[in-house]
Amino acid sequence: MEERPACETVPSRFSIGLDALGIRKEDVLLWLTADLDLSGNPADILVVATSTRLVSVTTDGEQVGIELVRAESFRVRSTVGSAFLQARVDGWYVDVARFTNSRRHQFVKMVAQLDNLKAGRPVQADALHQPHPLVCPVCGMARISETASCRRCMKQGAVLFRVLGLLRPHLPWVVAILVLMVSGVGLSLVPPYLTKILVDEVLTSRRHTDWLILVVAALAGAELGRATLNMTVGRLSELVGTRITFDIRTRVFAKLQELSVDYYDRNPIGTLMTRVSSNVEAFHGFVTQAGQGFLVNVLLILGIGVMLFHIQPVLACYVMIPIPFVVFATTFFWRRVYPYYARLWDSESKLHSYLSSVLSGIRLVRAFAQEDREIERFGAMARYLRDSHRRVGLSVGTFNPMMAFLFGLGGLIVWFAGGRHVLADRITLGQLMAFLGYIGMFYGPLSSLTLFSNWFTNFVTAAYRIFEILDTEPSLMDIPSARPLPSVKGAVSFERVTFGYDQYYPVLKDVSFSVEPGQMLGIVGKSGSGKTTIVNLICRFYDVQSGVITIDGVDIRQFRVHDLRRHIGLVLQEPFLFRGTVAENIAYGKPDATYRQIINAAKAANAHEFIMRMPGAYDTMLGEQGAGLSGGERQRLSIARALLCDPPVLILDEATSSVDTETEEAIQEALSVLCRDRTTVVIAHRLSTLRNADMILVVDDGRIVERGSHTSLMEARGLYWRLIMTQTRLTAIDALS
Amino acid sequence: MQILRPGEVKIFRGTFNMLHVAVPGDELYRGVFAVRAFPVKEGMKYISLFCHDDEDKVREIGMIEDLSQFPPEEQRLVLDTLAKHYFAFEVVRILSIKRLYGFLFFEVETEQGPRSFTMRWEHTRTLDFGDRGKVLLDVFEDRYIIRDISTLPPRDRELFTRYIFW
Repeated sequence: MEERPACETVPSRFSIGLDALGIRKEDVLLWLTADLDLSGNPADILVVATSTRLVSVTTDGEQVGIELVRAESFRVRSTVGSAFLQARVDGWYVDVARFTNSRRHQFVKMVAQLDNLKAGRPVQADALHQPHPLVCPVCGMARISETASCRRCMKQGAVLFRVLGLLRPHLPWVVAILVLMVSGVGLSLVPPYLTKILVDEVLTSRRHTDWLILVVAALAGAELGRATLNMTVGRLSELVGTRITFDIRTRVFAKLQELSVDYYDRNPIGTLMTRVSSNVEAFHGFVTQAGQGFLVNVLLILGIGVMLFHIQPVLACYVMIPIPFVVFATTFFWRRVYPYYARLWDSESKLHSYLSSVLSGIRLVRAFAQEDREIERFGAMARYLRDSHRRVGLSVGTFNPMMAFLFGLGGLIVWFAGGRHVLADRITLGQLMAFLGYIGMFYGPLSSLTLFSNWFTNFVTAAYRIFEILDTEPSLMDIPSARPLPSVKGAVSFERVTFGYDQYYPVLKDVSFSVEPGQMLGIVGKSGSGKTTIVNLICRFYDVQSGVITIDGVDIRQFRVHDLRRHIGLVLQEPFLFRGTVAENIAYGKPDATYRQIINAAKAANAHEFIMRMPGAYDTMLGEQGAGLSGGERQRLSIARALLCDPPVLILDEATSSVDTETEEAIQEALSVLCRDRTTVVIAHRLSTLRNADMILVVDDGRIVERGSHTSLMEARGLYWRLIMTQTRLTAIDALS
Repeated sequence: MQILRPGEVKIFRGTFNMLHVAVPGDELYRGVFAVRAFPVKEGMKYISLFCHDDEDKVREIGMIEDLSQFPPEEQRLVLDTLAKHYFAFEVVRILSIKRLYGFLFFEVETEQGPRSFTMRWEHTRTLDFGDRGKVLLDVFEDRYIIRDISTLPPRDRELFTRYIFW
């Protein structure tokens, strides 16, 4: 791309400042505004880069200026609540500008463009002025994440339409619900009308005293019919609701299995669990609410309205008087009280978490004699819950009688106005009684409908969260020409690989190495140095940002991901075991394995003996996460699982870190069998594990700082040697103690 | 842990106006920055001084136990560098809070002037600041501190605690 000045967009208020520095607007290649001065005071600062200089300018003049030729590199340094643009000059980082976090994203982009400028590559000035990824480009409102859709722009109608589409497989049931519901509403309108007949024809005029039994029987029939219909609608709604919930939950879980690992980095597990459990339940609520709440209420209000105006239009108008008050009071109440409900839910959840944590750590509490302190903490939580409960209770306790008063007011108005009508013989007493019967059923649904928009918005939000998962495309997909990978020899190579989970912060920097088939590669380094990232990339949980990873000489992106992973065995520090039998856990990666193969794998993994000691042996049912087994036993099961799959490339990520020395010996013995004749990548905390490795990489801060065999690295007396020495000392202390 | 004692270490500004620290028997550290160990409860005590080594890794030089024991000029220099490490808008009034789409939209008066900001209405976006204060994190991770909720005017406090109850 050709370099072009960004002069036309530089804010004019900085003209004086730029002039003072002798910078013409047309010289400006990159610019951004910062909102803090270097001391942290709010300020209006322009940061500009020309082909020779990087300067920050106030509206009056220069603040900081750096000649590009002297700048070795640039970076954004984050501190607590703000960040700095810095240039490295003579080996030291110099602050150029300071800004709040809302502008950090833009300055990170500026650093990339400054690197381009420095290296003589073309710059893209426009890249700096893109909207923040957390802001909706349409309406400017914040989003919950960079990939989330804007909740304001979310088309509620479209979501509703899509939800209705989900009802299609259950259409006969839905139609049945609707028909029964309408019939139920029709039946609800009958009793007040029968009351009118009872009063006018039987009790007051005594024209048809023989109708008494008939009318009462009809009233009983109407009530019975209404109860039966409501019961049937309720049962059918449950049936359809649970079916839809089941379908959606299954689809969401299947989608979650498809999504790439980076999706799980961006979305906390707790949030995803909420979506699969709670948000999906909203669909159930939708069917129930639509079937028994919203539609029924709408039909009731319409039906009752028609009946009221049919009986006496003037009196019907009086009934409408309290409506604005009912709507206003309900809206106001909900707005006011909803945060109190949120507080109540929070206090319940906090108390629950606290109890779970303190009861599971009860031994620690006892050991440190902290019972009194915990009782005090519990008291604080319980008080919080009590206060939250009280607040909701008080609000509801105030609101309900007020609403009852409003409803009663409607009745009183009808008594008064209707009474005058009766006395003037404009309506009969029976009509008045029917009126009163109808208004008893009128204000309740009206109040519920007022809250409907709140409920609907919450439902649409929940539905949207579900659709968001269902619509997410895995970020790591097979290329159209991806080929199958029927077999692998096991040559793995990294060629100048750079990668960061956040692309602006590389975790691996320019990493290159290769392993021949059947060789053992050890990777050591401090926590956070990038060891596990290497493993993640071999498994292609992520794609590299630059460089290439090859298997048997071919870029791994050329293969189908599923095929690639089938040829890689992974044994992690925390073995993943699920609820199922021991045999099922061993055969997880190869469900068609024979019993003999399972037993052979367990024997090779030194697991057979302890399995046979269990009463159920291979049929023993394990709890979640392998509850009931020791750490070493769980690890040996996971080794047996890897062994059963016989992968040509095996990765052991701190496989023996969390077990005692004796158990480690048993595991090491199992691993020596497992590693035979296959390419093995071992990340080890205990460096003794790597003595026999063909090559050891020492990783530090994302770079390979040493490489070679154990002997050559020891002779080099570098970082590896220091790590070994530290560990030897620790082992000696362990032995003494 | 190396304790940096007044009189023993020399703190001054040097090249590029950066903070320098000379530790007797050790070396001269340049480009020094400071971090509080207890930023909420002890503003003047337990302050660590850090620098970058030749490989650009952060290295702790030592800790100042009580900055107030240092000469005033050195105190000022350390406080200046601390001011560079921490930034938050200090909220003094809550003008309005609107709840929409799972977000809270704040209009506030801060010591740095009036501000509007948006935060997700989730407990994870609120941190305790001591026993009486709160730190709110907006959608961009900008920080808004209310040092003591009880000092807010009653109406503001009621409005604030209606939504920020965690």
